Amino acid sequence: MSDLNEFSVNENTFKKMLNEKNNSKFKNLSWDEWFENMLSKKSVMIPNMLEKVVRKFYEKDFDEWVTNFAGNLNFIWKESSAGELPIKKNQQMKSAIVIGRGPSLKKFNHLEILAKSDYSGAVVCSDGILKDALESGVNPEKFSNFYVVTTDPYKEQKLLYDHKIIDEFGAKIKGIFSTLMNPDAAKRARESGINIFWLHPLFDYHEGKKSFNKIAALMVRAKNHVQGLPAIQTGGNVGTSAWFVSWQILKCNTVSLIGINHGWEQNDPLELIQSHGHNSNLQILDENDPKFKKLYPTIFNPDFKTFCILDPIFQYYSNALKEFISRSPSHITTINCTEGGSIFGNNITGMYFNQFLDKHPR
Amino acid sequence: MNILKIYMKSNFKITKNDDNVVSKEKKSEKNEELTEEEFEDYMSKAGAVGSFMVFRSNTKKDELGIDSL
Repeated sequence: MSDLNEFSVNENTFKKMLNEKNNSKFKNLSWDEWFENMLSKKSVMIPNMLEKVVRKFYEKDFDEWVTNFAGNLNFIWKESSAGELPIKKNQQMKSAIVIGRGPSLKKFNHLEILAKSDYSGAVVCSDGILKDALESGVNPEKFSNFYVVTTDPYKEQKLLYDHKIIDEFGAKIKGIFSTLMNPDAAKRARESGINIFWLHPLFDYHEGKKSFNKIAALMVRAKNHVQGLPAIQTGGNVGTSAWFVSWQILKCNTVSLIGINHGWEQNDPLELIQSHGHNSNLQILDENDPKFKKLYPTIFNPDFKTFCILDPIFQYYSNALKEFISRSPSHITTINCTEGGSIFGNNITGMYFNQFLDKHPR
Repeated sequence: MNILKIYMKSNFKITKNDDNVVSKEKKSEKNEELTEEEFEDYMSKAGAVGSFMVFRSNTKKDELGIDSL
């Protein structure tokens, strides 16, 4: 590059660049913003490394997952399949709102805005935000198609259901639960009156006939569920699972996202960022450590003109969710109303939540 | 072959680096690389667990879910 900041590319390269830019959200933005985004894709290395590393963690957790499944099996046989849930056509429900527990929910009062709206589509809560949603007035009495999703297999999920307000509304909530969910968590949800619908989380299906996904499916089919259960990609987290549930299980053509930041605010404490929100006072790297910028890149969201910081786990989640949205069928529209965060790109429309509620009343 | 020249207006100040600075930067970049072991150690300390796993398959369609398993 010369002092004038000029450089040469051949015509074919330029055509490819132009095509890439015009087919992205950057069509009407500057070349600088497009380059910035392309360069940030260097961070893909971390998610790829994480895919390998997480596999090792999974091998440690495998026994617990199998034990959970065994503890749930009698209930799975007695209770419903998530495959029974698709919305009936005569209800004319076309859209779903997925609620994650990202910081944007509080920042933009999205729960309060939703509670005051006349929205009549499906409300799909991730388990971690259920209590807060109900307390904010987002409840099944106001939104009759009200769902909660749990895919994490850990005993801590029980705490998410252990609240009076969940007992109050439980009977009107449909729980879409993973067959690997901790049985005590499922028990607590059941005690609150939540009507449970089961599905399989895919994790080792690719290993063939002797994979646990296959074996578990055969065991479920042995009684009552002869057609089996639906199986979903969890994307590694309940927010992505809820997005899959909305179009794959509930058959909604439009899925909007609130509280799905998959990233941190720039002013969040380093301890919070480095412990992936566990607030554990764990600070592994100093901010000035050269590795810090690699592990925690700051990215620009061109839809909302905001920045966010990704920890490695959010890089992994974010890349996976964006990939799956880009691969979703053409009749599925994903609208990110989080108003920030890391979810933007192919097949994702960024929209302010108020606008979404105006345009998609059901 | 046809060559197009693209003139880029930069929105940052370009400063020329002397050789020493460049070599320091290169050294720093090298140090930034994380080994898989270091990364695993970091993830372990940050509380990573197996349920974070994204399902992958050679049958790409399966990665988006299966209607009835």
